[in-house]
Amino acid sequence: MLRAEYMATRSGFPHGSTDPLLELRRLSVAYGRLVALKDVDLRISSGELVCIIGPNGAGKTTLLKLVNGLLKPSSGEILFRGEQIESIPAYKVARCGITQMFQDVQLCPTISVLDNVMTGCHVWTRAGFLSTGFRRGHAREEEATMRASSLEQLNALGLTDRVTAMPRELSWGEQKLVGLARALVAQPSLVLLDEPYGGLMQHEIDKLSTLLRRLTCGGVTVLMVEHLTDVVMDVASKVVVLHYGEKIAEGEPQAIRNDEKVVATYLGE
Amino acid sequence: MAAVEVTDGITVEAGRARTRRRVLVGVGLAVVFTLPFWAGAYPVSIATMIGFHSILALGLVLLTGLAGQVSLGQAMFYGMGAYISALLTVRVGLPSWPSIFLAAAATGIIAAGVGFVILRLRGIIVAGVTLTVNLIFYYLIMSMGSVTGGATGMIGIPRLVYPGNLPYTAFIFLLVWLVVLALLVFSRNVVNSRSGRALRVLNVLSGGSEDTAQVLGINTMKYKVSAFVVAAVFASIGGSLYAHYTRVIEPSTFHVQLSVIVAIMVIVGGVTTPWGAVIGATVMICITEILRAVAPIVLGGPTGAYELVAYGVVLVATLLFLPEGVYSLPKRLKRRRRASR
Repeated sequence: MLRAEYMATRSGFPHGSTDPLLELRRLSVAYGRLVALKDVDLRISSGELVCIIGPNGAGKTTLLKLVNGLLKPSSGEILFRGEQIESIPAYKVARCGITQMFQDVQLCPTISVLDNVMTGCHVWTRAGFLSTGFRRGHAREEEATMRASSLEQLNALGLTDRVTAMPRELSWGEQKLVGLARALVAQPSLVLLDEPYGGLMQHEIDKLSTLLRRLTCGGVTVLMVEHLTDVVMDVASKVVVLHYGEKIAEGEPQAIRNDEKVVATYLGE
Repeated sequence: MAAVEVTDGITVEAGRARTRRRVLVGVGLAVVFTLPFWAGAYPVSIATMIGFHSILALGLVLLTGLAGQVSLGQAMFYGMGAYISALLTVRVGLPSWPSIFLAAAATGIIAAGVGFVILRLRGIIVAGVTLTVNLIFYYLIMSMGSVTGGATGMIGIPRLVYPGNLPYTAFIFLLVWLVVLALLVFSRNVVNSRSGRALRVLNVLSGGSEDTAQVLGINTMKYKVSAFVVAAVFASIGGSLYAHYTRVIEPSTFHVQLSVIVAIMVIVGGVTTPWGAVIGATVMICITEILRAVAPIVLGGPTGAYELVAYGVVLVATLLFLPEGVYSLPKRLKRRRRASR
């Protein structure tokens, strides 16, 4: 199955046709007696860039893990394009159109940059073990499409001269960009970003902000966890504040900046 | 433009290296496939054994090298192929060729069931469980005397029927190495494909992560079981050919020790590349044969104990000085030569 067919058939819904795109209903998760998230509600529309902020241990990464399917909630529902996804395995969630860039990127160290980005194409390709082993026609065709799409994505992120490099040869900023390329080549509707600005230089921060704005203009939705509040206030269309697993505020960046409760618990004077 | 030039420069260099590799492989293949016509019976039999072990090791490259699942049960699937093929021909009376394919299919189905249960476990415990399953298979074969012949094994396994008047040993040699070549090509295709990349991403032994793989849309269980089944089918084909080659099989051939030796072969040759399987099998079989010739004269007594010590020494030396296996030696020498310039 090639990319265009995948886009048309994904989850049985046309691309970006349902609003809200993602909805969390009274989502809770507990590790034994420790409650990591408690009754969190959230609605995210297509094309939004929503940022979750909060102190360490607030449950931000836990929330991303619930959305990508790596973690199952203790109670509550997650709806993506109106369909419940909280009980399906993570690889099926990815096929619905949700992808993620991890905090530590997690590139595969034994394959090149191009191959790493090509792994992002897994969701819209279908060739199985035997087809690839015998290099059957459709497997070869998919391989060529994956290569072309990945090169195109790397080119768009300014990484054309790094395609043959190994991950260990890249700077931290370049690794983050490759991680983003791997996420974007999957043609997602929703991209989850876990602290994408962490450890970046100022010029890399500016570049990433530009990329994210361009992405949301193109109709892709972004749900991001981030600590750099200045950047968050600059790029986000909506900010959600978590504190000890509870949502204490939600709104536009300026409103959040002026929210007394948020200032008292997280932002400070 | 600079970027394109750099990329092109790398492509030109890679193209030259590829041509050199192809010439080397062509010469190697010519030497191997003409061996029965110019070499004596002894070198041909050694090369045949290298072929059998290469088949076993090739499966392990996919399973351990790519998918990161350490298995010490390859000998079980080798034995399964040998015994099923032998039973189908000796007891049921089926012709030899179909029995090889039936044995491979039956082994694949069994491996899918075993893999589905075992591969839910993570980490080194998979090695322990596969080793245990291999032991269970061994004792099962030993205890089912009325069917499998017990400790004495099975005799009178028919030869494979083939056209022409080539000596049987030469025919088996060519057949085994054709199978090695086919499985080598299959494995290389998998390595450089969507499936190979998926296996590498989930390989926790080389820095991958199953969680990352899942978030990328990879059904990790399906891929691990697929690699397990393919490795088992490779071993089964090798085992069936072995049974029709020696025409006598006994349980001790398929003991855990063989699984361990095959794992060592893969580590010595290079666990991440299919060529590593062939190189590892060649190195280890040659060491065994040299020891068999030299040890009784120099050290005295039987060679069995010396073999195990030699395997251990080779394994430790490889892990210390060539962690990526003998396959990486030319690349390392080249890098050192460049650095000294």
